[in-house]
Amino acid sequence: MDIQEYIESGILEQYALGELPAVEQAEVERLSAMHPAIRQELDSVIEALSGYAAQYAQTPPADMRNRVLAGWKAAIDADAVAPVPVAAPEPVVRSISSAPVEEAAPAAPRFNWLMAASIAFLLLSVGINFLLYSKWQNAETSLAAVESDRSLLAASHMAVEKRLGDQTNELSVLRSDEFRTVALNGTPAAPKARAKVLYNPNTRTVYVDVRSLPEPPAGKQYQLWALDNGKPVDAGVLDYATASGESLQHMKDIASAQAFAMTVEDAGGSPTPTLSTMTVVGNI
Amino acid sequence: MSATTLESSTSYPEELLVQRLRDRDESAMTLFYDKYSAALYGVILRIVKKEEIAEDVLQEGLVKIWHSFQFYDSSKGRLFTWVLNICRNLAIDKIRSRQYRVGTRMTPLEDSGAMHQAASSGFQPEHIGLQEITNQLNPEQKQVIDLLYFGGFTQSEVAEELDLPLGTVKTRARAAIKVLSKLIR
Repeated sequence: MDIQEYIESGILEQYALGELPAVEQAEVERLSAMHPAIRQELDSVIEALSGYAAQYAQTPPADMRNRVLAGWKAAIDADAVAPVPVAAPEPVVRSISSAPVEEAAPAAPRFNWLMAASIAFLLLSVGINFLLYSKWQNAETSLAAVESDRSLLAASHMAVEKRLGDQTNELSVLRSDEFRTVALNGTPAAPKARAKVLYNPNTRTVYVDVRSLPEPPAGKQYQLWALDNGKPVDAGVLDYATASGESLQHMKDIASAQAFAMTVEDAGGSPTPTLSTMTVVGNI
Repeated sequence: MSATTLESSTSYPEELLVQRLRDRDESAMTLFYDKYSAALYGVILRIVKKEEIAEDVLQEGLVKIWHSFQFYDSSKGRLFTWVLNICRNLAIDKIRSRQYRVGTRMTPLEDSGAMHQAASSGFQPEHIGLQEITNQLNPEQKQVIDLLYFGGFTQSEVAEELDLPLGTVKTRARAAIKVLSKLIR
């Protein structure tokens, strides 16, 4: 090749100004390593340009020195903590066209350590948030479980309260001197049937206490009657629980009675007793 | 610290500085700053035209020089040439980013603050003086070389910008560099 022609082609100037694509740049480096004349010319071009650049030297403001050196120190310390990828080799010249165009230009290094700190903080914060979130979720779950346990307990406590109240009441009725016990015995229709009426004529209060009654047919209920001077007075229907003997039942108030009886009536009760279904009867 | 202040930074030998930087001696960066900051800052400022951005680029340059120092090969050129190239590239990257291009691109260099600054002390190895350079370079040559070197333009972009044939731009660039080369030698 004609070295002089190559030198005069202007490619060395383009190389020194950094505007050659990487392939041609490598070619220039290869040739300059091979031919001292090219190398010498290339060095002289580079020297000329850096010498020209140096003519524009301008001492930076005095207060800049500490800022820049401190910023540099902070940046390399931050990079040492969170290592940046090893910097790429910087050739003596670099193609301008390979320079990042648009906003890909690297951020000012003054912000690099800030950036590193921010990222570390962000990661930490994400981690803590995740931890707190899962803890919160667990707490939420256990709280829900405890809540449900508590409401179950409260419900059963209320049920016990109520039963205790009922039974205290029943006990006071049973122990009271003011109540008269009226034994109701089975009629020939149900000879084994037994029940009791507790009657307080002063307060007109009536309780019924079943010992044993035949199961009423479907759709039927036992109804209690007070017989006052031979006239039946409705004293209310017996709940299923009462009829099966589980507890006492507070019936309707009765002003005056000489006897009580129970008949089987349609569910909900009847205004008049069906005498044929009379199961128990007893006089005061 | 006292050691560095006693040393005269501008005359501190380049080979020693290179050795200390190679040894990751952080205090050497202070010497480096004192020796080269004026030359580097001047070039960066002439490229980016804004002092606060020039400061950022200079700091960025120091970080890059520190991190890639292992790649500096003194057999291939002087330290100044290498670091100047790093800083020039960073500064050009900066002005080629989009937000920078809007509006500022064709600001004449003579309007920028850089032209009105007093000449500085610091590293000026081949101090010829701008006046002499301007006397030797004709205005066309100077315009081309400034757009190429400080404007981050390629030769084709200069041709487009000045509405000249590419061949003319190449000729002017080569002639300008020849003149500079003679002056600096």
